[in-house]
Amino acid sequence: MDAPFYKFGLFGDNASLLVAFVIGLGFGFFLERGGFGSGNKLARQFYFRDMAVLKVMFTAIVTAMLGVFWLSRVGFMDLSQVYLVPTHLGPQVLGGLVLGLGFVVGGYCPGTSIVAAATGRVDAMVYMAGMFAGMVMVGFAMPAMDGFLSSGDYGQVTLAKQWNVSYGVLVTLVVFMAVAAFLASEWAEVKTGSRELTSQPLLGMKGLTRSRGLMLAFIGVGVVAATAGSPYRGHDVRVNEKELGQMVSRQADHVTVDDLAGRLIAGTNVPRLIDLREPGEFGRYHLPGAENVPMATLASAQWRADESVLLYSGSDAHAEQAWLMLKARRLPQVYTVEGGLDAWNDRVLFPRLTENPAPGEVDAQKRKVAVSKHFGGTPRGGAAPGEVKDAAMSLPPPPPAEVPAGGDAAPKKKAKKEGC
Amino acid sequence: MLELSSNRHNPGIDPALHAWGWEIPVYLFLGGMVAGLLVLGGFHILKGRNDPHAEAYPWAPMLGVVLLSAGMGTLFLDLSHKLYVWRLYLTFQPTSPMSWGAWILLLVYPALLLAALLHPPETVPFGDAVLARAKVWSRWLRMRPRLVQAIGAANLLGGVSLGIYTGILLGSLGARPLWNSAILGPLFLFSGLSTAAAALHLLSMLSKRQVKGQFGDALLGGFFKLLDPKAGGEAMLRADTSFLTIELGIMALWLLGLLTATSVHREAAALLLSGDYAPAFWALVIITGILTPLFIQTAELSGKIRHTAAPAVLVIIGGFALRWILVSAGQTSHW
Amino acid sequence: MSDETHAPKPYMNPYFAGFGLGLVLLTAFVTMGRGLGGSSAFASAAGALVTTVAPDYSATNSYWASFLGTNPFKEWLVFQVLGVFVGGLVSGLLANRTKLVVEHGPRFTRVKRLALAFVGGSIMAVGAKLASGCTSGQALTGGSLLNLGSWAFMMAMFGGAYGAAWFLRKQWI
Repeated sequence: MDAPFYKFGLFGDNASLLVAFVIGLGFGFFLERGGFGSGNKLARQFYFRDMAVLKVMFTAIVTAMLGVFWLSRVGFMDLSQVYLVPTHLGPQVLGGLVLGLGFVVGGYCPGTSIVAAATGRVDAMVYMAGMFAGMVMVGFAMPAMDGFLSSGDYGQVTLAKQWNVSYGVLVTLVVFMAVAAFLASEWAEVKTGSRELTSQPLLGMKGLTRSRGLMLAFIGVGVVAATAGSPYRGHDVRVNEKELGQMVSRQADHVTVDDLAGRLIAGTNVPRLIDLREPGEFGRYHLPGAENVPMATLASAQWRADESVLLYSGSDAHAEQAWLMLKARRLPQVYTVEGGLDAWNDRVLFPRLTENPAPGEVDAQKRKVAVSKHFGGTPRGGAAPGEVKDAAMSLPPPPPAEVPAGGDAAPKKKAKKEGC
Repeated sequence: MLELSSNRHNPGIDPALHAWGWEIPVYLFLGGMVAGLLVLGGFHILKGRNDPHAEAYPWAPMLGVVLLSAGMGTLFLDLSHKLYVWRLYLTFQPTSPMSWGAWILLLVYPALLLAALLHPPETVPFGDAVLARAKVWSRWLRMRPRLVQAIGAANLLGGVSLGIYTGILLGSLGARPLWNSAILGPLFLFSGLSTAAAALHLLSMLSKRQVKGQFGDALLGGFFKLLDPKAGGEAMLRADTSFLTIELGIMALWLLGLLTATSVHREAAALLLSGDYAPAFWALVIITGILTPLFIQTAELSGKIRHTAAPAVLVIIGGFALRWILVSAGQTSHW
Repeated sequence: MSDETHAPKPYMNPYFAGFGLGLVLLTAFVTMGRGLGGSSAFASAAGALVTTVAPDYSATNSYWASFLGTNPFKEWLVFQVLGVFVGGLVSGLLANRTKLVVEHGPRFTRVKRLALAFVGGSIMAVGAKLASGCTSGQALTGGSLLNLGSWAFMMAMFGGAYGAAWFLRKQWI
C-alpha cells in the first residue's frame, strides 16, 4: 500500500472532495472540543490566562509529525509526495506578524472562526464577513505585490534540509520543545491564577495522569526518531542544468564502444561498469567486468564520491536517464556507453567487414577482427580467417568474462548490489 | 420553460442541455415543503384532538400559503411565455404532468386557506380588521365538524398528491435516465415531509425565544413573539426523525433500482454515487442533510442534549440540496 | 426536558483534543498528501464573487484571472471548510455549547467588539495572503512537516499576537 493514496491514484478528484468533507468534519469536531469555538478562550492565550491554543496546536503538530515520520520511515508513505508549501521567508514572517495582529484584533483565526460561527458566535460571523471583504480587497493588490511575495525564495525546504541536520534528530527536538512549552504554559496559568481551566494537567497532580501518559508516549516515540534518520524515500536532489547542458553539448557525457573496447583490452583507465538491464538479460550477456544494477534499484545503490561510473543498457535511453539521476546525486564522473549494447554488438562483437578493404583500411580491419575475437564475437563478412589469427596474436589474451577489468572496482561489488 | 420532447419522439435531439436554471429546484423544494405542511396540517385537523405537543401544527397552513405563493412565483418566472400562463387552465391533459401540476396547485390553494382559517393567529402586526373578520369565519367553520373533516381530508390528499407530483414531474421525463423512476414520487413526498416538519420545528424553537436576552434574540424575537410562545417542537422532532429515516430508505431503493437496471441507468446513478455530483450529494444531502440531523435529533429525543433549531436548519439545507443536485445531475444524464 | 438540566459541558482535555486534531491532520497527509486549510475557502469565495460581478476586469488582474473558468465550489478546501462547519456544529451541539452570543471581555461593548471582529477578519485576509496560508495551512500543516517557512511563520504569528495583545487587552480581559 502506498500513501498518500490520492497521489498514487487510489481515488479520483470527486472522491477527494468527499474525503475533504470528512476530514473537515474531524477537524471542526476537535477544534470545537478543544474550545476553539470561543473567541474569549482563544484570546486568553495571549494574556497567559488559558494556554489551550498552544497546547492543542503543538500536541496536534507533534502527533502528526511523529505519525508522518514513522509511517514514512517504515515505507508505508512517500513523504516527498506530501505537498510542502514553498518557503518565502520575508513574506511569511511579515504575514505571520500581520496574522498575529489580526488574531488578537478579530479574536479568531480562519479555521476557528468557522467553528465559532457554527456554534452561534455572532462575532465570528462578522469576522468571517470581514475576512471575505479583506480577501476581495487584497485581491486587487495581489498583482502589485507579486515582486514581494516571490522574494526570499527558499523553495520547498524542510528545517532539516536547510540546516543540514538529521530529520529524526529534529523530530526529537520538537517533541522536547513542545513538552517544555506545555509545562511552561501550565506554570504561566498557575501564575495568572487561571489554573482550574485545564483539566488533567501535567503539573500539580499525583500519579500517571492520562496527559502525562500521552507526553511520555510522545517522548518515547520521539527519542527513537533521533536514530532513525530521514523519513524521505530516495534523495532530494538539485541539478545544475547549465553545467549538464554544456557537458552534453561538448559530448563529455559518453564513451564510444570502440573507446571502451580499447580500454577493456588494455585494462587501464576502466571505469566502474554498470549494466542497467534486468537480471535476466544481464545473465544472458554482459560486458566483461560489468555489475548489474537494474534501473529500479539504481536509487538505492551506493557510490563513492570520486569514482567514475560508466552506464550502459540495451540502447541509449535508460543509460541517459540513469546518467541524469547520478548527476543529480552530484557524482562528478558519470558516463554512458554511446549506443549501449546494440552499438557494442554492432561495432565490437560482430563488426561488418568490407569485402575488399582499401590498402589503408587493412590494419583497421585486422584490429576489428582481433577485438571481436577477443570479446568472443565473430566478424561478419569480408576478411580471411588467417589474417584474423595474425591480428589476434598481437593482443593480450582475453580476460575471463567474470573477472572485472576495472581492477580496484572489484571489492566494492557486494556492497553496491545490496539494493537489489 | 423550453418545450422539450419528453418521450424522445425526435431522436435527433437528445436534450443534453441545461434548460432548467435555479427556478425549478427552488419550486420543487418549496412545493415539496408545502406538500409536507399540507399533510401535517391535514392530519392534525383529521385527528381533531387537542394534542398537547401539536401547537406548531396551526402554523402549517399559514406557512404553506406563503411558501406556495413563492413557489408559484418561481414557476411563473421559469415560463418562457409568461403572458400565456392562463392557457394552462383552459385545458386538462391527463398525460401531461405539467397540466396535472397546474390543476393540483389551483386546488391546493383553497384547501390551505381554509385550513389556515381554522386556526387564525391571536394577533397580527397589521390588518386587525381583516383578522377580526377571519375570526368570524373561523368560528362559523369550526361549528361544522363535517366541513372541518372535509378540509382536513382535502389538505391530506392535496399534500400527498402535490408531494408525489413534484417527483413524478421529473420521473415522467423519459429522456433523463436519472429521473426515470416512479420511486421519485414517494422520495420527494417524504423529503417534503421532513423539510416541512423541520420548518415547523424551527418556527416553534424560534417562537420560544424571549425578546430580552442575547444579541440576535432581539432581532428574531420581535417577529417570532407573534407565534405561540408555548409551542413545543418535540412532536415535530419525532415526525422529522421518522420521515428522514424513511427518506433514506427510499433513496437507497431508488439508487439500487438504478444500479440494477440498464447500463445507462447505472451511469446515471454513478453521477450521484461516484461522479461529478457525488461530493455534493454525499456531503450535503446524505451527511449534512440526513445523517447528522438524525444523529442529533436522536440525542435530543433521548434527553442527552438540549433542544436546538440546528438539526431543523440542516434538514432544510439537505432538502434543498437534494432537489438542486437531482435537477442538475438529471440534466447531465442521458441515453 | 428543561434546558436548565443541559448546562454546557467542559471542554476536552487540550492535549487529547490536540491529539485528535493531529490524527485528523495525519489522515489528510496519508489520504491526500496535503494538509488542512482555512483561509483558502474565503479566497475562493472572493474569487467567485469578483469573477462573476466583473468578468472583464478579472481578466486584466493576474490574481483574479486565476479564478476564471474554474468552479470555485468544487475546491478541496471549500469542501473541507464545509466539513469544519458541520463538524464544529455537531461537537457544539453534543456538548450544549451552541449559543447565539457575541463574545467579548467584561469591559468592552458589543458593537465595538463586532467592529473589531470585522477589522480583524480583514487584517487576517491580508496576513493569510502574504504568508500563503493561515494557522491551519501554515502553522499546523507545515509545522508537522518541519517546513522552514511554516516555523518562521509560526514564530512571527505568536510574536505578532503577543506584541499586539497588550494594546487590545480591554477587548478581552
